[in-house]
Amino acid sequence: MLRYFTSLFFFLVVAVGFSQSEPIDLNKKDTTVYKQRYGLRVGVDLSRIVNSFFDEDYTGLEFVGDYRLTQNLYLAAELGNEKKTIGTPLGAEVDSEGGDLYTFTTSGSYIKLGIDYNTYGNWYGEQNMIYIGGRYAFSTFSQELDAYKIFDSSRYWNPDDFASGTEALGKYEGRNKSWLEFVAGLKAEVLRNIYIGASARLGILITNKRPEGILDDLFIPGFNRVTDGSRFGVGYNVSLSYLIPLYKKKNEPKKEKVQPEPESRPEPEDRPRRQ
Amino acid sequence: MNKLKILFVIFLGILCFSACEKDDICTEDDTPQLVIRFYDALNPTEFKDVQNLIVWGVLPTGGKDTIANIALDSIVLPLRVDETSTTFAFSRQLSIDDINVDTLTFNYDVKEIYKSRACGYIANFENLTATVKQDDSVWVQTIDVDNALIENTASAHVKIFH
Repeated sequence: MLRYFTSLFFFLVVAVGFSQSEPIDLNKKDTTVYKQRYGLRVGVDLSRIVNSFFDEDYTGLEFVGDYRLTQNLYLAAELGNEKKTIGTPLGAEVDSEGGDLYTFTTSGSYIKLGIDYNTYGNWYGEQNMIYIGGRYAFSTFSQELDAYKIFDSSRYWNPDDFASGTEALGKYEGRNKSWLEFVAGLKAEVLRNIYIGASARLGILITNKRPEGILDDLFIPGFNRVTDGSRFGVGYNVSLSYLIPLYKKKNEPKKEKVQPEPESRPEPEDRPRRQ
Repeated sequence: MNKLKILFVIFLGILCFSACEKDDICTEDDTPQLVIRFYDALNPTEFKDVQNLIVWGVLPTGGKDTIANIALDSIVLPLRVDETSTTFAFSRQLSIDDINVDTLTFNYDVKEIYKSRACGYIANFENLTATVKQDDSVWVQTIDVDNALIENTASAHVKIFH
């Protein structure tokens, strides 16, 4: 009976020995993590403000904003209002005696919604962007015909200038257009949380229904000049924006398939609460 | 990443060339003019030349320059876009002493039409009517408005029988 107990004791000792096989890790892991700022960035387009100041035929204001979703992806939006008076001379370079062939004023608002994708790999501590993005844009506006002349290549009755028209004068309300926009730009953090950015935009009109016989949409707020026989438009902005930091998050490296070992995720308590 | 760079270059390319556009010079559209053909009053299907036809515009203040014309059995006349009637004097000269001037007035409605960015607005003319001022000797016998809507100069709008 005693021999039986002794044998059992030895068996248990062996079992204990197996459970202690975990080696001691001498190369300690770096546990400090760099957390990036996430939040809402809001700003204003400087170019439109400057143009409004110097160009008496133009007033415009655009607010820009983006919200960071992941490491590289941002929700982005622009909201603006523009008013522009455009005179069209007879021919590209010709100034006729009595002024322009026709002059009109476009005024209206627009909204652009979409995403930005950051393609720039920041160094430690940087939060700059070189990005591409897409937008869906919608503008509602009015065109007001201020003055116009009737194009008539016969100068018999009016040898000096075209006769001016009166019938079509007035405001054409309720115009709207939507377009898709491709964006490329950059944003650089110049002071903490303050960014200066610039972007170039290529717009493609989705709805390009042209009214028959009455004044066309020759300028669309947010889209800029509309060309006959083309759906494309170009624009740009120069933004100054401020990042409202909401929370910080570590950039998690992509999981490698060879190591299925789960990574230690930060505890929910570690994250600061959203404001 | 590399694909994105390519996309970016393509985008810059489009941006460069999108500024190119066709010239903003109006070539396609124009305000149409009134086309008149002269027919033989005795044989209404035959064209008939008007001897030494000279036409000029008439304003309340007086006559204007002669309108250049090539053929004698037809003429193209500019209508006034800022008025709803235009008056012309038609002079027929059979011999040195035999000059007969008839005054024709065309009434119409002006319809202003937006055409394109380069051309802006042109005018079309609707509800065209024509009258001859009756005087001692009138060489124009009948005026037939064939097409009361003037939107191009491809065919005659008014037939004049003499």
